[in-house]
Amino acid sequence: MEGSNLLLPGYLSVGLFMFIVGVVGVIVRRNPIVIFMCIELMLNAVNLTFLTFARFRPSPALHDVADPQIYMSGQMMVVFVMAVAAAEVAVGLGIIMAIFRLRQNVDVDEMNLLRG
Amino acid sequence: MDLPWTLIWAVLALPLVGSIIQAVMGGRITRNGTDEAGKRLMGFLAVFFVAVPFVIAALLTLRLTNLSPADYPEPLEAFDWIALKSMRIPFELVIDPLSMTMTLIITGIGALIHLYATGYMAKEKDYARFFTYLNLFIAMMLILVLGNNLLMMFIGWEGVGLCSYLLIGFWYKDVANAKAANKAFIVNRIGDWGFCLGMFTLVAFLMANAGQAGIPADLRWFSYDVFLPNCVVLLQQNPGVATAIAIFFFIGAMGKSAQFPLYFWLPDAMAGPTPVSALIHAATMVTAGVFMLNRLHVLFELSPVAMAIVAGIGAFTALFAALIAFGQTDIKKVLAYSTVSQLGFMFIACGVGAFWVGIFHVITHAFFKALLFLGSGAVIASMNHEQDMRRYGNLGKYIKVTAFTMVIGWLAISGLPPLSGFFSKEAILGGALGNQVAVIGDVPVGVIAGWIALAVALLTAGYMTRLTFLTFFGTKEQWRLLPAHEDHHEAHHAEDNSHDHAVHGDHGEDVHGFFFSDKEMATRHAEHEHHHDLTPDHTPKEVYPSMWIPLVVLAVLSVAGGILLNNNHLLQHWLYPHGLTLIPHEAVDGHPKGWVGQYLLLMGIGAGVLGMVWGYFVYRNGLPKDEKDEDSWKPWRRSANAQFGYDSTIMDAGVTGGGMLANLAWWFDSKIVDGLVNGIAGFTGGLGRLFKASQSGYARSYALMMLFGGLAIVLYFVYVANSLGGKV
Repeated sequence: MEGSNLLLPGYLSVGLFMFIVGVVGVIVRRNPIVIFMCIELMLNAVNLTFLTFARFRPSPALHDVADPQIYMSGQMMVVFVMAVAAAEVAVGLGIIMAIFRLRQNVDVDEMNLLRG
Repeated sequence: MDLPWTLIWAVLALPLVGSIIQAVMGGRITRNGTDEAGKRLMGFLAVFFVAVPFVIAALLTLRLTNLSPADYPEPLEAFDWIALKSMRIPFELVIDPLSMTMTLIITGIGALIHLYATGYMAKEKDYARFFTYLNLFIAMMLILVLGNNLLMMFIGWEGVGLCSYLLIGFWYKDVANAKAANKAFIVNRIGDWGFCLGMFTLVAFLMANAGQAGIPADLRWFSYDVFLPNCVVLLQQNPGVATAIAIFFFIGAMGKSAQFPLYFWLPDAMAGPTPVSALIHAATMVTAGVFMLNRLHVLFELSPVAMAIVAGIGAFTALFAALIAFGQTDIKKVLAYSTVSQLGFMFIACGVGAFWVGIFHVITHAFFKALLFLGSGAVIASMNHEQDMRRYGNLGKYIKVTAFTMVIGWLAISGLPPLSGFFSKEAILGGALGNQVAVIGDVPVGVIAGWIALAVALLTAGYMTRLTFLTFFGTKEQWRLLPAHEDHHEAHHAEDNSHDHAVHGDHGEDVHGFFFSDKEMATRHAEHEHHHDLTPDHTPKEVYPSMWIPLVVLAVLSVAGGILLNNNHLLQHWLYPHGLTLIPHEAVDGHPKGWVGQYLLLMGIGAGVLGMVWGYFVYRNGLPKDEKDEDSWKPWRRSANAQFGYDSTIMDAGVTGGGMLANLAWWFDSKIVDGLVNGIAGFTGGLGRLFKASQSGYARSYALMMLFGGLAIVLYFVYVANSLGGKV
């Protein structure tokens, strides 16, 4: 494609790094707010990956399609992810607020009501 | 005066209205049985709501007598009770000789017994409740006889069963009465089962063969005027089906009319107040089976086998119950077995094809048996509620009206001419001995039943003479021979299991205090000792006029009823089924051929007189020595007293057999069914426990698991991609 392929591994590396930071954060931290931030980090890492591939590697199967909008599928996916992430944060923060009011404490290790 | 036919609805509705009034206002007006004036008012209303229907029914019957059968009114429809696409069951009444005859018996005898009951129950607290049931019974019985389809008969059939249950258990706090009521109800259910099967088979058969007989234009499959003519067409080609249907219906009649093998509830039903015994368990309800056979006579006439079975069962029941009656000491029990025996006579009549004779005997029996029961009630009332005939004797000196009327009843039931019982019994004997209908193979069952009936006529006169002489005649006044304060309750109880002390408390844990506690029972018996019990210085007193007036009326009817009804074959022409009869008239005209026919009259009278003479010689001096206490009884009398073991055997078999069956079902349920359910639950539970550990409740460990899962999926795709040569 027109852009330089040299930058491709760099973008992907940043995405991978962000994702790993997110995963580790979710697993090791006990504050739900931080966990949420880490989730956001993971989502954005995935978004970055989407955009990277959309920019550098358009789907080969779509070459013959006349409609140019189809090239925008990666970017579209990012918009969806952002919308869903926003909704998810709204719900999640609501739950956290409710739990906090109930227990004056939001440590995720102490929220074990679903234990079998 | 021509009354409109629609007034028949008033006949049906008035007792129902009366019952509702008693139920809603009775308690308030009688102030729970403490207000004498209120009681008198409610008593008057109770009689009123039965007497007025009698007058209306009598006038309607008069109008009907002037018509020829072709002009009889159509069934009167009120509304559609059940309306389906393929079937319609209207609420409809029929006015014909049979239904009107029964209506007159029910309302006429019913009004007299209501009148009697106002006196008999005068001291009762639950006065209004008693008349609620009694009026309701009249209404239900009227539905039974007036309804124009089988389902309406079934409403009445169940309704009278319910009222019978309620009234037998009227003094429900005594557990023995509650048990008797249950027994009556449960045994009746067996009969109802037969009735239902008969109904279902009949209609299923008619519908299956609708192509041949046609679908009735107004879809009234269950109405008599529709299905009976169809049956004639169809069942003649299917004698097997005819026999099955007839026997199913006869099982229903067996239950309601106390025929062997389902008779054994009736003697226990005497636990109810005496007016109930007279009205329900002698004059009306128990004759419902005979009425049903008359109503459905076509079905029976189409099956000689079923006819023979009816006659045979009737004859056996008549003999069996008459023998048991000799072993009874309770005056009401003797009359109860006598009723069973007389019902057997009615079934003999129906079984040999002389259906109208069955109704004839229903009528005369209603007269004299109601008389005898009411008389026995008067005797019991005047003897401080002692029912044991061995404590009576020479009562004729004290209670003259009762004694005189009961003697008439005795003569009537013994078949002495020209009293009413003579005519109906003679008609039964003639019909049975001369019939050619009730035959199985070459065995003339009907004729054999006739000879048995002749023997039973002798026995009837015998045990009734025993009852009469032990009660009213003889020189000894037995209760005066009682040692003061002898605890003869014990003797009484020992002979009569249903009142056994041991039975009390047999009802499981009584958390609601429904029955008398042992303590209450003891005080109650103590009360009996002091206030109610018969003491040697007791002087029997004649009962109230409200009680002996019905006795006199019934005595007059018992004397004259037979002559009036048999005059010029009045009842025969009135009742003889018209239009549908299949059996040729001469086969059941009641005139046996040959010497039997010549000497029939003589034999009938002879049997009665012989029985009375035997009774006179045995009992003229009062209680014979060998009947005094059970130890000196002859073995046959002891076994007759125990109903030849039938009742205890069948009750034991029913109760223990039922218990075993229930245990088996319980075992199956608790082991097999519950085992299956618990097994499945246990299996899933175990599986759950196995994986329980993974649900730690720590959100972060879930996250870790998701990570591993995600990694596994990614690795899988990498692997797949590699194995495809990295082309994807």
